[in-house]
Amino acid sequence: MLYAVSSGSITFRSDAPLELIKASSNELKGIFNADKKQFAFTMNVNSFKGFNSPLQQEHFNENYLESNKYPRASFEGKIIEDMDLKKNGVYSIRAKGNLTLHGISQERIIKCELSVKNNVVSIKSNFTVLLADHNITIPKVVHEKLASEIKVEVKADMIEK
Amino acid sequence: MTRMYMAIVMLHVAIPCSFAQQPGSKSFKLLNDNEPFKINCLFKTSEGYIYAGTTNGLYSFDGINFKKINFTTAGIKDTVTAIFQDKAKQLWVGFKSGHIAKKVKGRLEYVEMEEGNPKAAITSFIQDKQNNIWFATNGEGIYYFAKNHLYLINSENGVSDLHVRTLALTSNGDVLAATDQGINICRLVNGKATVNVIGPNNGLPDYYVTTITPAGNNTYWIGMQEKGFCLYDHSSGKITLPASTLSWNYGQVNDLLVSQKSLWIATDEQGLLKQTGINTPVEVFNSVPGIQNKINHLLQDNEGNIWMSAATELTAITGNKLKLLPVYSPKVFETIHATLCDYQNNIWITTNAAVIKYSLVNGSYTEKIYSFPTLNSKTDITSLYQDINHTIWVGTMGKGILLLNPETGQSRSLSENPLLQNASILAITGRGNTVCAGGLEGVAMIFNITEKNKNITEKYRFTNYNDIENVGNNYIYSIYKDSRGRIWFGTDGKGITVLDNGKLTTYNKTNGLRDDHIYSFAEDSKGNIWFNTEGAGIYCFNGKTFKNYTDADGISDLKITALKTGPLGNIILVNKKGIDILNPERGSFSYINNKQGIGDVNTDMGSVTQDTAGNVVLSTLRGIVFYTPVEDAVDRPKTIIENVQLFLTDVEKNVKGYFKHDQNSFQFYYTGLYYTSPDEVRYQYKLDGLDTGWILTRDRNVTFPKLQPGTYKFHVRSSLNENFTNVDVVTYEFVIEKPVWKRFWFITTFIIVLLALVYGYIKRREKQLKKVQQLQQEKIQFEFQVLRNQVNPHFLFNSFNTLISYIEEDPAMAVDYVEKLSAFFRNIVNYRDQDVITLEEEIGVLRTYFYLQQKRHGKNLSLNISVSAEENKLIFIPPLTLQLLIENAIKHNAVSKETPLEITIDLQNKNRLVIRNNINPKITREPGTGTGLQNIIKRYSLLSKEFVIVNNDGAYYTVILPILHKLN
Repeated sequence: MLYAVSSGSITFRSDAPLELIKASSNELKGIFNADKKQFAFTMNVNSFKGFNSPLQQEHFNENYLESNKYPRASFEGKIIEDMDLKKNGVYSIRAKGNLTLHGISQERIIKCELSVKNNVVSIKSNFTVLLADHNITIPKVVHEKLASEIKVEVKADMIEK
Repeated sequence: MTRMYMAIVMLHVAIPCSFAQQPGSKSFKLLNDNEPFKINCLFKTSEGYIYAGTTNGLYSFDGINFKKINFTTAGIKDTVTAIFQDKAKQLWVGFKSGHIAKKVKGRLEYVEMEEGNPKAAITSFIQDKQNNIWFATNGEGIYYFAKNHLYLINSENGVSDLHVRTLALTSNGDVLAATDQGINICRLVNGKATVNVIGPNNGLPDYYVTTITPAGNNTYWIGMQEKGFCLYDHSSGKITLPASTLSWNYGQVNDLLVSQKSLWIATDEQGLLKQTGINTPVEVFNSVPGIQNKINHLLQDNEGNIWMSAATELTAITGNKLKLLPVYSPKVFETIHATLCDYQNNIWITTNAAVIKYSLVNGSYTEKIYSFPTLNSKTDITSLYQDINHTIWVGTMGKGILLLNPETGQSRSLSENPLLQNASILAITGRGNTVCAGGLEGVAMIFNITEKNKNITEKYRFTNYNDIENVGNNYIYSIYKDSRGRIWFGTDGKGITVLDNGKLTTYNKTNGLRDDHIYSFAEDSKGNIWFNTEGAGIYCFNGKTFKNYTDADGISDLKITALKTGPLGNIILVNKKGIDILNPERGSFSYINNKQGIGDVNTDMGSVTQDTAGNVVLSTLRGIVFYTPVEDAVDRPKTIIENVQLFLTDVEKNVKGYFKHDQNSFQFYYTGLYYTSPDEVRYQYKLDGLDTGWILTRDRNVTFPKLQPGTYKFHVRSSLNENFTNVDVVTYEFVIEKPVWKRFWFITTFIIVLLALVYGYIKRREKQLKKVQQLQQEKIQFEFQVLRNQVNPHFLFNSFNTLISYIEEDPAMAVDYVEKLSAFFRNIVNYRDQDVITLEEEIGVLRTYFYLQQKRHGKNLSLNISVSAEENKLIFIPPLTLQLLIENAIKHNAVSKETPLEITIDLQNKNRLVIRNNINPKITREPGTGTGLQNIIKRYSLLSKEFVIVNNDGAYYTVILPILHKLN
């Protein structure tokens, strides 16, 4: 059985000593094969909106994530646990996969809360991304403005395809 | 309070059988309300502490009690499935639920991972060369922590099975995982995990791998489900199958333990096995009481004991330390006076008129009896020795020495030495080609063995020492040839005589020996000669001095049968109950006795021997016992402060403590960790700052209530006897602060503030007194001046001239004038003592004075006072102030018809008294000091905060006086 993202959002937050940066995107796409427990999620990095200023957004896209060069971020892999998506309920599951950002793939285990209600599968997950893991370097000047650990929140509803 | 869980202890001793055995075992069960828990895993920390993971959580075990390690958060119940300690001594615990916990401040705390917890049981931990912690799960594969993240190695990485039982780190940093589908070799390359599988195709006999144990040199013992165990060489990939596993029928191998040169094997069906060489058969211990058929885990404590867990039972055996050969019956034991371990490690014992040889054939011992027809059944055989030609020398009571060729069984009496005729032999010893024999009535002889003597019928060359002083006509208990060729004779009551380069020297009581009855000799690796005496313990002779060790040093029994040097250099003392082992470096003793399952030891000197490896061989009621010291084994208790409590609450024991004055009741819990015989441990403690000396106790805790403020250091040490010299001391330092009001800075500050206050008060008072004094002085000065002024001849002269003119013209007026003059002087006298008078009184004086002056100047002098009568009474003024000012005005101005002097006194704004006069300066000045006005200014400055203002604008001279309302 295949499920696809019908609506999804991804929000990130950087709690640096001097500045809080928060932006989100609703352009999350993804597909989940419940039989093989495999999944793939992707998004356009430059679709993040809601920065403190246009300048901040420009820095984010051009200097840090180089979204022209690496336009997509993705997470694809396999669910560790077994589950039954035909039953309504809330499951705590873990996904093992490759998180690709800034052109660098990192193997990650990401914990998510998965709830099934009337064939709609909702996913909620919070995780952190270490900038160093993805070769995202921060100029010293903005060091105080950008946290080395970025908190990410993903929410998505998936329906059967 | 931590709850203590009682353990049931069972002591087992071996039953007779023809296999090598463990002499005894100790079993423990973990009970809670009489319900035993299952023990899932065992672990030994770097300190040597044993931990057990059970279905009821984690326990530490000190050899006597199990203590539960609770969670910081109450109410968590989880089955422990793995225990690990990392290089930073952090204890990690894995649970059946998939959770992982760390031990923090004596309690467990779950590790919260962003990635979530595994949901399968944790089976094993390791720490890799980059210090990352890895753990295996039963169903999800292998996880590892790296750079703040948790990673999973599973099927996608090529793991052959997700059920992983054990992890092992290889010398080159790879991680070996035992899975249900072979060995998985995991390696991290650039942060990516790669997996190689070793399965049946690589020569692994069984792909179901249960355990992996490092065997040194990058080789690993692999335990399997069906096919026993094998040796895997990680460098070459080669797998070696031991001969014993070719037809394996002992069941699944659950755990493997390498101890010295042996491999101990825990099996699922046949209990404990031991393998000493790759091609030797395994020894089976399943018939030893206390050893279950299914053993799950093995562990060796720091003293060399081997612990095994089987379901709900934890059992300890002495491992490689002791081996029991129950080869003879108790009846035979009574006839044994000597034993011998020959060059092939066959065991020989003496019995009535015969010797018996026990040899190991296919894992069990067979016996062969050599009887001597020349001996009758009453003849005691006292000594056995095998020389370099392998000839067995047999010493007897009354029948001299017999020689036996063990190959042919041929024997003969050594009759060529006439001294041996019907001689009684006590000991035969030797070194190289020398054999020494000693006995009753001066039997002291040394034989020189040659190649020819391989044929025992050849004559032996010998020297007799029966005629030398202190040796001849005596009992010789033993003759010993040391490594330097010296011959030592131990006698019954004549001390020691040593023959060195043909020179004889005797040492006895005159040299400080407390006992001249010398039994046996041994030599240590430094060339010191050790010997035991009948009743004064043992001596060590370093060539110059004798050092004595007695019961005070820790010898358990002064009736010492014999002493030997063990293979690791320890001096081994044999007594009826067991052995005392002396560590010659430290002078400390450890013991092996009935606690380890040995006892009823033969007390004949000849019954103690050594095998080819130097292991000490004893004859006991239950059989021959081999004692093999374990290398690097701990032979004394390890003292640990377990806990420090303040008012029954734990405090951090690894750092110096600082406490408030009322935090003063301390309890210390300590352990001398010694699993071999934990109940033998005794302690000494002292508290610097309170006690002066060590206090001996068997208790494992001590309470110090209500300590006074001060600096303290708690010391504790443990020992197996009452000898505490060269013992490690463990300490805990703490400070109880003085209360705030007793601290130096507080007291100092307090004193300074107090002094400052006192000083301030004194200063103020001084100032006030000074002011009063000044006022007094001013007043006196003023009075003086006033008096002087008023009695100055000018005034009187003028007054009298006026009076004369009135006497003639108007006598009534003259009388009036004199009355006024007298009233004026009376007023002066009246008021001069007072600080202030009312303005009314002052004006009274002034009017009298003015009357006297006006009679002289007439209308040219006028005074206008505009102060109401009510105000007069409320306003105060220093006496004669106004009088002085008016007098000054008259004195300094010309008073004439052309230049009349007009003086006004006004009260302005109800707070200032203004005295003003017009200025007509005199051409000739009246003499005056000018001190009058100064005096007024000074007096006002003392009486009022406001100042006296004097103003001379050329036309008017004005003095403004502040108003004084009341003086206290």
